[in-house]
Amino acid sequence: MEATRVQPSFLERVMLNMRARPAAWIVIAMTLGFLVIIGIFAGPSQLINTIVTGGMWALMAVGLALVFGVMNIPHFAHGDSFMIGAYVAYFVFTPIQAYLRDNPNPFLSAVGPLIGWIAAALVGFVAGAVMEKLVFYPLRMRTRRGWVMNTFLLTVGISFVLVYGANLILGPNFRGVPNYWNVPPIVIGSVRLTMERIAAFVVAIVAIVAFWIFLSNTRTGRAIRAVAQDEMGAEMVGINLNFIYTLTFALATAMAALAGASLLFMFPAYPTVGLKPLYFAWYVVMLVGLGNVQGAIVGGFIVAVLQTLTQQFFGVSYEDVVPVVVMILVLLLVPNGIFGSEVKGIQEQ
Amino acid sequence: MSMERTVTQAERVSGGLWEGIKAVLARIGFSPLGVVAFIIIALLPLVPPFNQEHIMRWLVMGAFLGAQAVAFDFTAGYINVVNFGFAAILGVGAYTSAVLSNTLPILIVQPGLPPWLTIWIGALAAGLIGFLLGMLTLRLRGIFAAVMAWFVGIALMGLATNMPKLTRGSLGFAPPPLLNTTNNLPYYYVALGMLLLTYICLRLVTNSHMGLAFRAIGQNIDAARASGINPTRYRVINFTLSCVFAGLLGGFYAHYIGSLTPRTVMHTSKTVEVLALAYIGGRGSMWGGAAVAFPFVFFIEYLRSNLSQLPGLHMVIYGVLLIIVMIFYPGGAAQLYSTIARRIQRRAKGG
Repeated sequence: MEATRVQPSFLERVMLNMRARPAAWIVIAMTLGFLVIIGIFAGPSQLINTIVTGGMWALMAVGLALVFGVMNIPHFAHGDSFMIGAYVAYFVFTPIQAYLRDNPNPFLSAVGPLIGWIAAALVGFVAGAVMEKLVFYPLRMRTRRGWVMNTFLLTVGISFVLVYGANLILGPNFRGVPNYWNVPPIVIGSVRLTMERIAAFVVAIVAIVAFWIFLSNTRTGRAIRAVAQDEMGAEMVGINLNFIYTLTFALATAMAALAGASLLFMFPAYPTVGLKPLYFAWYVVMLVGLGNVQGAIVGGFIVAVLQTLTQQFFGVSYEDVVPVVVMILVLLLVPNGIFGSEVKGIQEQ
Repeated sequence: MSMERTVTQAERVSGGLWEGIKAVLARIGFSPLGVVAFIIIALLPLVPPFNQEHIMRWLVMGAFLGAQAVAFDFTAGYINVVNFGFAAILGVGAYTSAVLSNTLPILIVQPGLPPWLTIWIGALAAGLIGFLLGMLTLRLRGIFAAVMAWFVGIALMGLATNMPKLTRGSLGFAPPPLLNTTNNLPYYYVALGMLLLTYICLRLVTNSHMGLAFRAIGQNIDAARASGINPTRYRVINFTLSCVFAGLLGGFYAHYIGSLTPRTVMHTSKTVEVLALAYIGGRGSMWGGAAVAFPFVFFIEYLRSNLSQLPGLHMVIYGVLLIIVMIFYPGGAAQLYSTIARRIQRRAKGG
């Protein structure tokens, strides 16, 4: 006797979703359209650029959305997790590179960057856990009143400590790795694809997909989603809230650190390197709706398209001005973001 | 008998006078101790260790930062909206005043208007930006408003950098000085006057019925709305006022320092400095930030000059203090003061 479950097919679900959120689908369609326009008018290399950047903003924004969705923390130090990742990757990869210069080893030179990235993600994970235990755990124990605003200010403090701590210990110099691999770029027609770009995109996609599988198919991942939906209910069914909070924060930090590590060729490590990724990650989550993890993935690409369009049609100097205009429109037309947000804490002052 | 009666009467009169003075002071937000402290701070640069030029410069910066903290706390502590674009709005005031006092852009007359006039125009311009920003964002919940203000702040900084014809961009702009002197002492009194003006004006507002509405909105916006307060209106008023004073202070800064670049005035880290100061001083107290500003500036400048091999150490300390205060002692220095004062009072009564 098998219970018959009525599962809507994928297509049906898409149709349902479309009817529920028309604005979201219009925006997605427009984004795809703009991608085509970019491809035609600005050239395919711009198109590739846009997609790679989109993957990275998505990876940053997912962490931000996760922390807000599960813990209700507007994370202002997310960019500094990026900075941590960039530094770790630099300090792990440079010795490997130096070693390789003396004794070439094809296997190590292929795998070397990966070691740096994994190290960055691990350090980010640990740093996130430490941050949560040191800062948010005591506050949670003391009071939950005014949580959103208080934690916002706390993350501002963390950001200050991390940025100026890095400045203190490592100095303000740029530490970059121009190329991870000494291989010539792949040329397809007029498009030159460097290995770093491909790798950065692959890392972003793999990390997001792995994270998605973790959230939907594992026990712990489901527990995280349960906490995001209903904290008290989750506690009642025996989920260890403190563990989930620490894990969530650590995961988000690890993802940002991974982004920082894999973008080291674009953003050399220096104390305030995280400001721009932070800004764009916030831009993404405000656009799609605070705490909406699914939306953040799509949003990363939307923002990258907007960025490329701005650069193409207005010039780089308006890069900071256009987001504000977009944000104003979004807030006036769809105040909860284009994909909506159903976060419990958002109603709190 | 009659002698005794007159004595008691005189006592009552003098007591009444004292009480009256205290009431007037309380209305503008001063306790008698506060007045004494203010007078001491005002007389500091006349006393030997403080009458050196570089220490007077620290005092000016202390007054400037303190006044900023007061204006910041007026929104953060009362309506519970963190104006994350505070420094950028201060920069609007600074640039408006600087540009107008250098050349009048329409008439191209050199020199432009006197700085004494233009700092007020700058204040109005900043207030206008604040008003528009408030109209736009303050219907939203706290965190949206904060992030939106941050975005607008970054956009304003971007504009200031990208209009080199007007602001000379990141090359730096050199506005004329406010006073015809290179001494820091007159500037110190101007800064102190601005601190006093900011504090008293904003304190008069918060002591009126409007202040009550602000507090109600800050504590529970839905309850405030239910009891007939229009949150948007009061929040916009509050935000605009805070921005006006930010612009005024920006104007002072421009004409005191004599060089402006978008990064040194409008950057987010400047907002964070003021924010940390206001919260360490005690949110919702207004005077806390101003009181903490002076020792802080001294401490910071001391670190900067004596531990120059450790750049940015003071910022780390700032951040750590902010975190500690936020977690363990949300009342900040103001709460510490009132706790100690109450304990002393109780002991005096008990003994």
